[in-house]
Formats: sequence, C-alpha cells, structure tokens
Amino acid sequence: MTLTRKSTSGARASSGLARSLSAAAPRIMDRRTFLKRSGVTAGASAFASALPFSMVERAQAAPAPAVGGKVVMKRTVCTHCSVGCAVDAEVVNGVWVGQEPVFDSPINMGAHCAKGASIREHGHGEHRLRYPMKLVDGRWVRMSWDDALAEVSARLLKLREESGPDSVYWIGSSKHNNEQAYLMRKFVSMWGTNNCDHQARICHSTTVAGVANTWGYGAMTNSYNDMQNSKAILFMGSNAAEAHPVSLLHILHAKENGAKIVVADPRFTRTAAKADHYVRIRSGSDIAILYGVLRHIFENGWEDRKYIDDRVYGMDKIRDEAMKWTADKVEEVSGVPDDQVKLIAETMAKNKPSTVVWCMGQTQHTTGNAIVRMMCNLQLALGNVGVSGGGTNIFRGHDNVQGATDVGPNPDSLPGYYGLAAGAWKHWANVWGVDYEWLKGRYASQALMERSGITVSRWIDGVTEKNEFIDQDPNLRAVVFWGHAPNSQTRGKDMLEAMKALDTLVVIDPYPSATAAMAASARRDGVYLLPAATQFETEGSCTASNRSLQWREKVIEPLWESKPDHTIMYLFAQKFGFAEQFTKNVKVNNYEPDIADVLREINRGTWTIGYTGQSPERLKIHMRNMHVFDPKTLRAKGGIDKETGYSLDGEYFGLPWPCYGTPDMKHPGSPNLYDTSKHVMEGGGNFRANFGVEKDGTSLLAADGSASKGADLQFGYPEFDHVLLKKLGWWDELTDDEKKKAEGKNWKTDSSGGIIRVVMKVHGCHPFGNAKARAVVWNFPDPVPQHREPLFSPRADLVAKYPTHDDKKAFWRMPTLYKSVQDQFANVGKDFPLIMTSGRLVEYEGGGDETRSNPWLAELQQDMFVEINPRAANDRGIRDKDMVWVRSPTGAQIRVQAMVTERVGPDTVFLPFHFAGHWMGKDLIDSYPAGAAPVVRGEAVNTATTYGYDAVTMMQETKTTVCQIMKA
Amino acid sequence: MNTGIVGACVLALALAGCGDRAQVVVYKQGQYQGKPDGKPWDNDAFSGDRTEWEATIRARNQNQNEYRRING
Amino acid sequence: MARMKFICDTERCIECNGCVTACKNEHEVPWGVNRRRVVTINDGVPGERSLSVACMHCSDAPCMAVCPVDCFYRTDEGVVLHDKNLCIGCGYCFYACPFGAPQFPQAGAFGLRGKMDKCTFCAGGPEENGSEAEFRKYGRNRLAEGKLPLCAEVCSTKALLGGDADVLADIYRQRVMTRGKGADIWGWSTAYGKPEAPAQPPAAGGKS
Repeated sequence: MTLTRKSTSGARASSGLARSLSAAAPRIMDRRTFLKRSGVTAGASAFASALPFSMVERAQAAPAPAVGGKVVMKRTVCTHCSVGCAVDAEVVNGVWVGQEPVFDSPINMGAHCAKGASIREHGHGEHRLRYPMKLVDGRWVRMSWDDALAEVSARLLKLREESGPDSVYWIGSSKHNNEQAYLMRKFVSMWGTNNCDHQARICHSTTVAGVANTWGYGAMTNSYNDMQNSKAILFMGSNAAEAHPVSLLHILHAKENGAKIVVADPRFTRTAAKADHYVRIRSGSDIAILYGVLRHIFENGWEDRKYIDDRVYGMDKIRDEAMKWTADKVEEVSGVPDDQVKLIAETMAKNKPSTVVWCMGQTQHTTGNAIVRMMCNLQLALGNVGVSGGGTNIFRGHDNVQGATDVGPNPDSLPGYYGLAAGAWKHWANVWGVDYEWLKGRYASQALMERSGITVSRWIDGVTEKNEFIDQDPNLRAVVFWGHAPNSQTRGKDMLEAMKALDTLVVIDPYPSATAAMAASARRDGVYLLPAATQFETEGSCTASNRSLQWREKVIEPLWESKPDHTIMYLFAQKFGFAEQFTKNVKVNNYEPDIADVLREINRGTWTIGYTGQSPERLKIHMRNMHVFDPKTLRAKGGIDKETGYSLDGEYFGLPWPCYGTPDMKHPGSPNLYDTSKHVMEGGGNFRANFGVEKDGTSLLAADGSASKGADLQFGYPEFDHVLLKKLGWWDELTDDEKKKAEGKNWKTDSSGGIIRVVMKVHGCHPFGNAKARAVVWNFPDPVPQHREPLFSPRADLVAKYPTHDDKKAFWRMPTLYKSVQDQFANVGKDFPLIMTSGRLVEYEGGGDETRSNPWLAELQQDMFVEINPRAANDRGIRDKDMVWVRSPTGAQIRVQAMVTERVGPDTVFLPFHFAGHWMGKDLIDSYPAGAAPVVRGEAVNTATTYGYDAVTMMQETKTTVCQIMKA
Repeated sequence: MNTGIVGACVLALALAGCGDRAQVVVYKQGQYQGKPDGKPWDNDAFSGDRTEWEATIRARNQNQNEYRRING
Repeated sequence: MARMKFICDTERCIECNGCVTACKNEHEVPWGVNRRRVVTINDGVPGERSLSVACMHCSDAPCMAVCPVDCFYRTDEGVVLHDKNLCIGCGYCFYACPFGAPQFPQAGAFGLRGKMDKCTFCAGGPEENGSEAEFRKYGRNRLAEGKLPLCAEVCSTKALLGGDADVLADIYRQRVMTRGKGADIWGWSTAYGKPEAPAQPPAAGGKS
C-alpha cells in the first residue's frame, strides 16, 4: 500500500497528497492576495493604487515576525465551535503576529482543529467588510458611519411609524458574546417587538425545548471532559470528529481506556471511522431505532428500576410503546437489522456509565423535539442521567450558541428563560432599571408583548405570507441580519423572493456575507452593510457547550472601520431614542457600553439558570489560573490567584451554569447536572420541579430518599418561594434586607438572592425543587414520542403508516403546514428518489462566510460537492468529480461536484452546508463588494432544501428531504 | 538576493566560513555547501547552554501527553 | 542527545487538518505550498485511517543524497534543513523523497524564486536564528525559542507527536499499552504479527 492512495474522493483529494503533485502549478486565489501573502511587498505596493480597497493599512498591518517589537500576550477563545478552545495571541504593536497553544486550558490542553489553528487570520481579514456600504442602483457604494446610521435608522423609524415595531425582524447571533447577545434582546425589547432570533433556532432549539421539558434545563448535562469517565458512547446524529474535533481529544482518550464507541448515522462519518461499531440508519428514523433499543433493554431487564421508581415519571408508557416496536417494524422504518439494534442496547447497558451525543442529525427534523426526548428516555431508563460519565452530551454548534440561548435574542423569552408573561417583563424591567409601563408602551400591544415572535426559520414567510394568515398586524418589511448567514436557513429559493419584497435589508457583520450577494443579485437599492468587529476585537464572556463561561480579552483594535456590536447597538439606541434606558446601569465609554458592567447586570437578573455567580472578576481569575483545573473533573485542586488572593479550590472551570446565588455565595458551578451524589454547594443537584407537583393523581416529586447529598429534605419537594420558606420555618434565616426584597417573591425573582442562599447554603436543598424527570411530556404534540415520516419522504408506504401532524394555524405567528404538504408530495419519491441530507466539514463553520474567507482554510476545501454512492452514481452515468445538477421538488437546482464514495448508502446523498456565493449555476462574485467576496464560493445546499418545521420549536427540516441528481 | 550572482557570492562566503567550526552533520557522499547554521541554544534565552535547552524541550514535549496532565 | 522526530498515531488522527493550518499560520506559508498535509486511506469505508505527513527528517535522507548542489544539512538534533540560497529548484529531492515533502512554490513565494520549500521542524534555516531573514525564507524558528513544531503542539487529538524521539517513544508506548494494541493499520501485522483479537468482535459493517 502506498501513501499516495487517497481514496475515491473528489474535492477532498485537494487536501491529500495529490496536492504535492500539483504544487508546481498551484491554484491561485487572486493575484493581489497572493502577492500579499507571498511577502513581495514591492509588487504589492505598486499594485495598491489600482485596488478597490486601499492596501496601505494592510501593508502596515502585515504580519511581521515576532522579532523586534514587544510581544504582548492576550488570552482569548476560538470562535468556531462550542468546545471553547483557549488561544494565546501574540500581539506586537497592535498587530496579531503569532498564536501559541494554551496547554493550561483544561478544555483543550493546547489542541486545535484546522479552524482554531488558523484563527489568527481573522486578525488580518483581507476579505472583511471594511466600510459601511449601501446598494445604489445595483452597485455597492461606500458611505460614512454617520450617514449610514442616519439613513438606516430613518428608514426603520419610518416603518415603525407606518406599520408598527413588529414590521422589523432582528436576526441576532450566536457569535455575539454573552453581553452582546443579552444587550440584543434588551435592544429589541426596547424597539418594541419579540421578532428576534438567532442560530439556536436552527441548531438545537428542539433539544432545548425537549430536554428542558424532560428534566429542567435545556443544555448539555455533562461536559466534553467528563466523557473521559464514560464506558460507552453512542453518537447519533453527531459527527463530532468534524464538527467538534477537539472533543475527540477526550473521547479518544476514553476509548483508549476501554470505552466502547457506537456511531449510528446515515453516513459513515469520520467519527464512525474511529468507532468500535457503525450502524447505518435511514435518515430521520431515529425514534424507531431508539424504541427498538429500549425494547431490548426492557426485555432483558437492563433498565435501572430503582432509578426509574425514584426519579422518572411516565416510563411505563414509554415501555408500552417500545414493546410495539418489534424487530420487523424497526427494520422496516430504519433499515437496521435487529442484531445491530440489540448491539446498541447491549453496549449501552453493559458498559455503564454510558453517554449519548447528538447534534443537528437529530434536531433538524419535523420531529426533532420527539427524537431528542427519546435520547433522554434511553438515558433515564438506564439510570445514566446525573451520573459522571453518563448524561446527554449535547454538543452545541457556535462558540456562544449556548450563551445566546441562555441570555440572548430569543423570540419566546426574555434572558434566562423567564418567558414573556407580565411577571417576567416586570422582573427584567426592574433589573434594567426602567419602568414596566414605558416598556409596554414600546410594543404595539400588551398581547404582542407577551406573544412569541416569528422565528428565524420563518422570517421569509413573515414577508411573503398573506397578511390575513399571520398572527400579527403587519407583514415584515425590514430584516436586520446581525451576525447570521442566510444560507444556513432552508428554502433559499423562497428567501430570495422575500429579500426582493423587503423595504429595507440591513447586514451588520464582519463580512458582507452571502446576504449581501443574494440581495445585490436581486435588488437595486434598500440594502445596507455595516461592518462589525469580530470577538477578537472586543472583550466579553462566552459559554461553551458544557456551560462553562470563559472570558475573552481584546486581542486587537477593531479592523478597518468596523465597530463592536454593542457599540453599534448603542448608536442605534441613540437614534431610536432609548439610549438612556438601554444603558441605565451600564457605563458607556465613547459610545461603547462597558462589557463587564453588562455582565454584572446579567448576574443581577438571571437567577433561573444560575448566571448570577459568574462575575467578571471570578471569570478573569479562572482564565489566568487554568492550570489548577483538572481536565477530567474540571475541578480546581487548590490554587490561589496571585493578583487577588482569591482561593480557587473546589471551583469548576468557568463556573459552569448553574452557578447559583450571588458571586459572594461562591457556588462552584455545576459540572454535571442533576447529580445527587454531590452536595448542592459542591455542584450537585436533582431534577427540577417545573411541571407541578402531581399529574393525574401521580406525584411528580422525587421519591422518598432520593435527593442531593446532604440535603435537609431527603425527599421530593417543590420549588422554593417566600411561602414555602415561611412554612418550613426558614424565613428568619434571611437578613432583614433580604427579607424586604424576598417578600412575595420566589427564588427566581428574589433580587437579594437570599432565598437561594438560605436554601442551598444553610439547608443543602435545591431552590428549583426536587422532582422526577418526565419521560412523557404531556404538553407536547406527541407526549409519548412517535415516529412520523418527514414531509418529503421517498417512501410512500411509510408515509401512509406514519403520517405527520395536522396543519397548524397560528404557530409562532405563522400558519405552518404539515399534512397538506406531505399529502401533496406523497409520491415525490418517483421523481426525487434520493434522500438529501447535509452537514459540516471540519474546515468551515456555519454559513462559512468567515471561514471561506480564510485562505489557510479555503485552500483545503475548494469545491462544493455532493457525496453519492457508486451505485447511485453509476445508474446515473456520473463519475467521480463530474459536475452534476442536484434538483429538488421546489424547482431549485444547484450545480456541484460529485464525490463518488461509499460514505453514503445508495439511497442517500450528502452535501455540506457551508458554501454560498453561487446561485443555481451562477457565480455571484460580482454581487459582493469588490474584494470582499470569500476566497471560496459554491452553491448553498439550502438553495435546494424544502419546507418542513418542528411541531414545537419551528426548527427547520434539513436532514431529510429528497432530490434527484443528474450529470451537468 | 534571487540572482545567481548573489547566490554564488553567498556560496563563496559560506565555503570560507566552513573551516572555522563544525556546524553540521555532513552527509557522507557530499559536503554541505551552504551557509553555516547556528545552534538553537546559542541565544539569550539559553545562553549557549545545550543541557538547559534539551531539558526545556523535553519538558515542553510532555504537553503532547495528556495522560500526564489528566493523571498528574 | 535530543533527536527530533515526528510520529502520527493513526488511532487518533481524525483528519481535522489542524496541523496543516497551524503550519500555514506559523510560517505564513503561501497558497499552494503544503509543508504538511493529511493523507487518508480507505476514505469513507470501514478501515478509514488518516495520517499527517510532512518531511520526516530522515536519518539517512534521500534528498540529501541526491541533491546536486549539496544544499541540505542535518543539525545535531537530527533536523534536515537546506540553504535556499544554494538550492537550484531542480526537483531531484522531490523525486527522491518517499513522502512528497519538498514543495516548489510559485515564483516569488518566500521571497525566493522557485526554490524548494519544506517542513523545517520549526527550526528555521541557515540564517541568524529568529532573524527577519530567517523568517522570510524559512519561517519561524520555534526550536530556538525552546518550543516544538506548532503542528504537533496544537494537534486536536494529540495524534501528531513531534519532539525528542525518546520522549515520543515513551508517550506512544503508554498509549499502546493502555489500549492493548498498536496501530490498526497497514504494516503493523507484517512487522509484529497479528494483533490480539479486539475485546469485542466487530459488528457487521463495523471496522475491518
């Protein structure tokens, strides 16, 4: 065997040895960039006058070796996924010249994937959006910040005047830090709408809803690090090796120490390549398989009966359902033979503690909320939740998607999952120091103030749907893309129509993004681009998937004319007339709200999920003392901060939320949720009492004897409020000052934190109560999860047996179709026989505008491609690397390169979703501002995706739709 | 610097320098003809102390061994 | 005496290309030049394994043997380097190298027309250590800073090891002993006989 054999892959071969053979004639990006990179500065400067963007600044900022100038080290965190890899940046004279591994970080121990290892390139950003610009007669024209702010705000205020605040849609970002995401929700509230959202909607919204409704909090229960304690790991709908590469550091360490790894996926992923067992499944059949797995568990008595009796409600109903899923039925739906289903069950049951990992492969379905609850039910049956090495390890996507979900711009909740009821508004009005009545006056009505807004997955319909069918007065007339790619949302073809119909489209982003190109390809005017700074050009905290918060130092000043997002928010707040209310408790320096002050305000309000203990001071101490934290437990073994004398002993790295109470209470953070083996002041806990105390005569509280270690109440109990405290005789343990603030309040609204202090510190109990997890979520469309075929299924026989939901009229303000679409396309398999699914590549992130603009990454993946099985390819006369058309039932077709590979089965094709910049066969390079197009462009898979949304959260269906492929 | 003339000059200088001190391990069949290279420990950080440099490198190497961090 | 080597643990390499971009980042390697790359065999099917490859800094380096202008040298620490002022860019070393390590940049790259470029083990080249001239021609000199090659230092799963061969051998040995087997990759059974049967039989469609 020779090293030069690089598989049958097409586009991927560009990362292989084939490259060396073509090295003598490398593919050139563009002449300007090449000259710049190659260091031929004489040539470059001669070139400069002809360039659309001045190269002078770039030349000054050109990377010089770290010789000479004084090197300043800045500690930051990679912005490309939720693992939270620390980076030490070497800065000389304000230029980011080098990058050193942070071996001290307990999370990544110095390790990076391709994205993290090339993060410094963002500090130079040749393809960035440099100045405010607007579309004038189809061309991008530079403008000043003053003009841009004045024009954009005038247009938006006019719409607000004409059509009300709900006519503007604000798409926030999971790439904002916690403080910016939080300010974004506050900003939109003060504008007067709930029409805001961010990437979590299309990432893990089904997880957050499904998991929170099962046991309390909608987040990863354990941590990447804790997986070192697992004895078996089931990946279902997660390709961690590409999407979260550094998590494999912990996972392969576990494997080396005997953990069994099983990957169940439609695609033989790179994660599967590292597994002990791979099970090929039909996309979207997860519920059927998981019932099959549970049937084997119950039939063999592998379930943890005591655990279920003590801590789970409704498992009997799950058991009854599982018994209906016989081997034949499971195989009919999923294509998985019974011995492989049993293998999953046996591996998980006999190698405990065992854990599960899922990502978009499970969440992005019309049944996403039910699929993820099946994963929870599997873990509850095995008694794996609240156990080190167990849990549901839900890997989030963006670097701060967890934090933006927790405190950011969600259409259905104020920060901290407080919801939108009047009580929630009053709580936050109090924290913000503004009058509730004033806030109410900002909204069109109290009804709209308390009604969930439109989701990012549906904004296009908010523009184009008939007005009488939508559940708010105006249609959407303006959309602000504030750090969000358009090509990560489905139905691209419909999106272009919506973009055409808008009055105003604003992009606030470090890169012009595919939004700019799409808009300029279809419009003449009314589009504005405002350059935002990246997270390396500001400071602030971000929350990794494991709920740990990390503090980023500012590495460099904002590049070009970009401004930090929170500064831009403040400038708009001034124009809109609420700047004073916006920053009532926050210092403002030169239009920039003080980030640490913002975090302190978050600390003062977010009691529900324990974002109260992570003061900026504590986080900074953690960042400079990373070495004292153990990479297996995340716990500090001793350690005293030199600067402050603060003792770190016993704290968990990044104070993973919930970190309850005030910072003074010194809660250490919670490494593994619901863990009864630890005291609540050591990070222990139990399931949350959030769904009442009984259901149909059955108690929902934990059984006698089941409680967190050392709790005064060793049985189930409801959540704490002033009444319960008084009944228990604990009220007088509050100080007089605390009593004043806690009177009439519960633990979530007591602004003194006194209730939490007494309950946790004095009595060792959990403020949110001690209840059972719910295997049956009675407030969801399918309380007991049911397999339902996707709206576009090539299997008419299964559609008949497992039909989808009925249509919904007003769901997140929009009519939402299920049955009528499925019926209309019941026989879609005839013309579109291939299941189309999509996912990630290691080199790129999200919509990819940022990573495809980084030449170090772009060089590794130069072509958009479709993975197609040799059988399917041969039947269509397609050879490896041929250009093909992928056609979808929407009438869209995209032109991509074929990668013939057995990675996918004959019935399935896979496309990565990071590409954009081509539109149905046409390169949109001329639609970007000159010089700001990403290095690599390609067709967006979502140009071709179809309709379909989760029945609880409006998650878009991306993972199971259909297509046909033919040679181009 | 790119021209053959300059290259030849450098070559001559390098040859002249070769006799002074043994800088490199030389391949048997041919004599290295280029510029002599310095030692990684000949700088302010290590003040020419090879032992110290080697100890530093060995210690640094353990960062590639997560077992040491996890079990230590 | 330290002897510098790379080894790549194929049980851990996940083809994430972190080593590749780390190299680009550290040395400002231009587009089209790949001092390091990741090679995958059995791509997309059970038995898929990846391996990060660069100059292996051979003890008896074929490039040195064939170079017509003798521009190569090996340092006391076993790093194979070359003098770009001397290199004529003929490509003989490219023929000789079993790993495809030598790269031939586009004119102008690294400031030197058509000269061979390759992995330096982050040890720079025959210019003053840490100097501007060294960086421009060969990239950063981490060894002189007491650091090791960045590709190995940032490897996402610590699959790629780079440094003193004795230390690497210890690190790798501990892993092999922990997992109870060596690499499930070509050549292992030829060299050491069939590996022990895995603890659990592979499933149908599982790894080979």
